[in-house]
Amino acid sequence: MRRFLNLPAVDLIFALVSFSAAFTVLILILSTILVLYNESSLAIHRFGLLNFIFTVDWDPVKEVFGAAASLYGTLITTVLALSIAIPVSIGIAIFLTEISPHLLRTPIGIAIEMLAAIPSIIYGMWGLFTLAPIMADYIEPALQKVFGDIPLIGKLFEGTPMGVDLLTASIILSIMITPFIASISRDAFNLTPDLVKESAYALGATKWEVIRDVVIPYSKLGVYGGIVLALGRALGETMAVAFVLGNKHQITISLLDAAATITVTLANEFTEADTDIYLSSLFYLALILFVLSFTVLAVAKFFLLRAEKHYQR
Amino acid sequence: MDLKRRRKIQGQIALMLSTLAALSGLFWLVFIIFDVLRHGITALNLDLFLEDPAPPGVPGGGLRNAFVGHFLITSVATIIGVPIGVLGGTFIAEYARGTKFARLVSVLSDIMVSVPSIVVGTFIYAILVKPFGHFSGWAGATALAFIMIPVVLRTTEDMLKLVPWTLREAAFALGASYFHVIKDVVYRAAATGILTGIILAIARVSGETAPLLFTSFNNSYFTLDMSEPMASLTVTIFNYAMGPYEDWHEKAWAAAFIITVGILIITLITRSIIQWRYKN
Amino acid sequence: MVNGKTDEKVKIDVKDFSFYYAKSDKPALKNINMPVYENRITALIGPSGCGKTTLLRSFNRMHDLYPGNRYEGQILMDGKNILSDDIDLIDLRSRVGMVFQKPTPFPMSIFDNVAYGLKLRGIKNRSELEGRVEKALKQAALWDEVKDRLKDSASGLSGGQQQRLVIARALAVEPEVLLFDEPTSALDPISTSKIEELVVSLKESVTIIIVTHNMQQAARVSDYTAFMYLGELIEFNKTDIIFTSPQKKLTEDYITGRFG
Repeated sequence: MRRFLNLPAVDLIFALVSFSAAFTVLILILSTILVLYNESSLAIHRFGLLNFIFTVDWDPVKEVFGAAASLYGTLITTVLALSIAIPVSIGIAIFLTEISPHLLRTPIGIAIEMLAAIPSIIYGMWGLFTLAPIMADYIEPALQKVFGDIPLIGKLFEGTPMGVDLLTASIILSIMITPFIASISRDAFNLTPDLVKESAYALGATKWEVIRDVVIPYSKLGVYGGIVLALGRALGETMAVAFVLGNKHQITISLLDAAATITVTLANEFTEADTDIYLSSLFYLALILFVLSFTVLAVAKFFLLRAEKHYQR
Repeated sequence: MDLKRRRKIQGQIALMLSTLAALSGLFWLVFIIFDVLRHGITALNLDLFLEDPAPPGVPGGGLRNAFVGHFLITSVATIIGVPIGVLGGTFIAEYARGTKFARLVSVLSDIMVSVPSIVVGTFIYAILVKPFGHFSGWAGATALAFIMIPVVLRTTEDMLKLVPWTLREAAFALGASYFHVIKDVVYRAAATGILTGIILAIARVSGETAPLLFTSFNNSYFTLDMSEPMASLTVTIFNYAMGPYEDWHEKAWAAAFIITVGILIITLITRSIIQWRYKN
Repeated sequence: MVNGKTDEKVKIDVKDFSFYYAKSDKPALKNINMPVYENRITALIGPSGCGKTTLLRSFNRMHDLYPGNRYEGQILMDGKNILSDDIDLIDLRSRVGMVFQKPTPFPMSIFDNVAYGLKLRGIKNRSELEGRVEKALKQAALWDEVKDRLKDSASGLSGGQQQRLVIARALAVEPEVLLFDEPTSALDPISTSKIEELVVSLKESVTIIIVTHNMQQAARVSDYTAFMYLGELIEFNKTDIIFTSPQKKLTEDYITGRFG
């Protein structure tokens, strides 16, 4: 505080005005939590925390609400999307930093960044009109043919292929988060000092061995940060999945079944909630989502900050 | 030597897989963009911009209400969000540089940038829709401004920190107050960066749907009154694409085309501005 | 070129060697001819930009990492041209080790750093690995300092220790030739003298080529010295002759500090 006391009047005023602007961020976060908590207090009192989280039923008529189905859908789509997106993105990052001819690096890099700039509603709509029919007509029947008879795994692909299901939603989500992970990983890979890479080559390592043993370990904090950041985004993504998930509150083993996520439930039902407890339960879902993604994003930030320090040394 | 051959083959396979991954990533990009362009271009016509929607199920009409609504909501969001973001960024990069407060605001803003935008929609609903009993353009604009503030704040902070400290010292040495140093020297030096940051933030919020769903909602009629529910392109895409009519689907493609092309062009332009500015 | 008879054995023979960087018609190295004697230390000196590092990096074909670079002429190692297309770079680089300007520990433990080259060569046997890591660390005069913390991360070592670790890593695969590219430029005087002692002690087992911008260092450690200027080899001779009675005016100017 002392540093402000000696300032001339014009500075005091400007510092105060700009301080209020910076302080707005804190106010926004705090009031989001408080308002969401306040709005969901009815549901919190009625259902409690654990009971709400573990109840599958979501029945506006009987006024019984539980988050289990939405949480399950959120979890499955996120995990599935990440497990597709992580290998692909790291492959892209390796290609961009180590394999691609120098001439192609910038244009492909720009293309990946473009993919990241496209709004999620475009992905969602494209998923509904283009990907879902392809999934229903070709990919899902093929998956059923290949895996259908295998015990346990076959259960994942049971049901009529409609294209509007967990699998399609996860694929769209993975396409959407791939550019994030890829560009953060690429930036992290690029920070590996050339000398360290060269000394691995000088020991007779092949290009792949240099990538595997030097580049990836060297940049793993940055890559982790990117992955967790993408996880945070995937958890809270609405429009990319809203079109192709079907919004059905159920827990299903089959990936070819409709489901719901927290975001999809909110998007579809918020304006239709006709009772106080219904609306309050939706706010409760929003609060859980906010806390969940805030935590995940804070972890991502922690990794990225540590990575930054690591590189500065 | 057998081992050496194995190592080389293993390496080649791994590099090939990476290349395949990159190609598949590019494949989706080309696929999506091509698809949006293909469907969008055929659905484009002048009525789209000049007419309001026809009644449901009746072909024809346009999306004038949504274009205007989208423009209004985004503009008001920019007017609210940009000053707060720039000023906040200025505070933590200048007056509060190096303090714990600056660090806290910076880290929290980074997190807020990626917080689910639909949650922002529910928050604004609770404070600006529920109390008034109806959806409004103002609520939509506030929701977008909420999303914009941390983005602009962080870019401003980064851009101001790129300005060398010696430049400020040189101005201080002439007897200028900190306010004048910021206004006349620092802002000028960082202007291009801040401006491109603002443009990217506008591009980012102009593609948002989720925060508008229950704030500005939708309106099939043309309105300039921000206190009424207001149509936007993105919410219209959502409603039309999920709707049963072929004509709606076409309009959704057309709107998607315009949003995608607009955002791609903005991103490309700002990117080249940044490259041009920071290469010289 | 060398005055008087010598019965030294030539390990590497550089013949009419020129080098071009990608997209450049101007050679970075022009028609270099010089021998490198077995189990001797050869120093490459000259002002910055003279091509000494470029020459050094040709001995293990480091330039091949960047497309478009071109070699002309020959570099014969044990009579075989290492610039020819049928040379396997993995083999070449396991015969010719390299140590860089700055310590370059890999992001792994001290033990794994030294064992890295061995593992690449398929040595998996734990006790053999341990034996060879210990031997290399002893050769690099680092064993006593790290023997109790082999599992610790290499980034926790001091700069001088890291550089000796990197030397141990290069030694572990028992190369025939070791290239040093200004190995002490990032180190303090005490670490520098340790590395210099180490380099001298290593010549019993390997042939050494060292690039240095520090003339005293060249005089202290090397047996032969090559003075380069603007991509050309100006003079090559026994180190004491170069430093006491250089044949060329340019060499004399440089070592007496009149330029560079």
